Amino acid sequence: MASSEPSGRRGEDSPLLRAFLEKRENLLLFLAARTRSMAAAEDLVQDLYLKLATLDAGAEVRSPTALLYRMASNLLIDQVRSEQRGSRRNAQWRLDTRAILGGEDVHEEPAADEQILARERVRLLAEATQALPPQMGRAFRLHKLEGLSQAQTAEAMGISRKMVEAHIAAAIKQLAQRLRS
Amino acid sequence: MTSIAEQQEDRAVTEAGAWLARLQRDDVGEDDGLAFEAWLAAAPANRSAYVQSLGVWHEYAAGAEEVTAELARQADRPRPLSRRWVTGIGGLAIAAGLAIAILPGVLSQTASQSFVTGKGQHQRVRLEDGSVIDLNAETRLKVSFVRSERKVVMAEGEAIFDVAPDKARPFTVAAAGRTVRVVGTQFDVRSRQGELTVTVARGKVEVRPGVATGHDYLLTPGQRLAVGATGVEDLRVVDPQEAFGWRIGRLVYRNQALSVVVADLNRQFVEQTEIGDPELGAIPITGVIVLDDPRAVMARLSLMLPIRSVPSDRGLLLLKK
Repeated sequence: MASSEPSGRRGEDSPLLRAFLEKRENLLLFLAARTRSMAAAEDLVQDLYLKLATLDAGAEVRSPTALLYRMASNLLIDQVRSEQRGSRRNAQWRLDTRAILGGEDVHEEPAADEQILARERVRLLAEATQALPPQMGRAFRLHKLEGLSQAQTAEAMGISRKMVEAHIAAAIKQLAQRLRS
Repeated sequence: MTSIAEQQEDRAVTEAGAWLARLQRDDVGEDDGLAFEAWLAAAPANRSAYVQSLGVWHEYAAGAEEVTAELARQADRPRPLSRRWVTGIGGLAIAAGLAIAILPGVLSQTASQSFVTGKGQHQRVRLEDGSVIDLNAETRLKVSFVRSERKVVMAEGEAIFDVAPDKARPFTVAAAGRTVRVVGTQFDVRSRQGELTVTVARGKVEVRPGVATGHDYLLTPGQRLAVGATGVEDLRVVDPQEAFGWRIGRLVYRNQALSVVVADLNRQFVEQTEIGDPELGAIPITGVIVLDDPRAVMARLSLMLPIRSVPSDRGLLLLKK
């Protein structure tokens, strides 16, 4: 962490920080593929920046862009782990609350910071999902709605991971085309 | 017939889907990143197709539980009920990409709470008495509950109030120097730049002058009272769903000047539209505007009007065709 030069100066000189600033938008889009929102992806980009600042400025980096994506990939894998922990904790919390309230339906009240969609839009999303071909729809639901990894989805459906990825890719195309305007 | 541009766009959308799927791999790494980087740089259409698909992808993330519940419901009842009234409002395909945040209403007996929305933000507030307030973009209001009164002060903006009946505690909304008083009802209050409109969908709503001068009105369902900045009052019969359309991502206009329509759009989107030619501002607009994104909205408007839109540093600039 200790540096003899002010960090602003170092930033100008470090090829890694320069590459980061140049690639920031692309890194954001890369990370956002795995986060639940753009805001969460922004947080990860910020984490990435902080990690860069602690790297040894003197270290020689052959390909800054490759290093940036390696670090970004590691962040993704870490955050998926912590998100899984988080959602399990949430589910547990909901279960407890429900038990305390004697089975009353409390899950209609989301946490204050939780973004939820307008009911009208939810119906459109559901209709678009319904319109997917059966196998494609099943892969999409297991992976995106029930939160299974691609490997878990492949296992559940008895097909290859490659096939799952192809189903998801085609599903995204169809959904994006149907839902945009 | 498909043009080359359409083919390119279709390919970009296909590849965007493939990229989003590939980046879900459990062992995603730097090679994927570098290839992704190269793909983004290969064509501008790639980036916009990816951003578009990413938006849908995030919507599914945000609404996974709700969509799953809705799918279960649709499986029981293949024809969704509310399609009917959606068609009633204009029969257009809906593309309201607006996400809203729902806050739990946790107001204590005498607490007051402020709510503020910015550009493009909608917010639903559930109050302790069961009333619901939907805030439109760029709205500021304060809610305070005391034993004898439920009181809202709207500094600026627009909101739909769905008021739970409680005869002992009337619900009042103070806006633009007037007080709107109800017992249990649904209505929309819009207060922008000193102009006030109140539209009633259900129940009875009383509008009193308060600090401003003017008359007392008792509005019934389907009535709209508009009070201009100079105090001119206008009472007319409207379809309340028109005034309530913004909540589901659509704006309905009858003979409204383009300048007013653009001002409304600029509240709904971060990207701002400017009218480059003052003559254009007076063009009357009648129709339903679906709020998906400003460029798409302007593209559709330019099909009906003698206008064209060009990109500017703030967003879009409207010019004469």
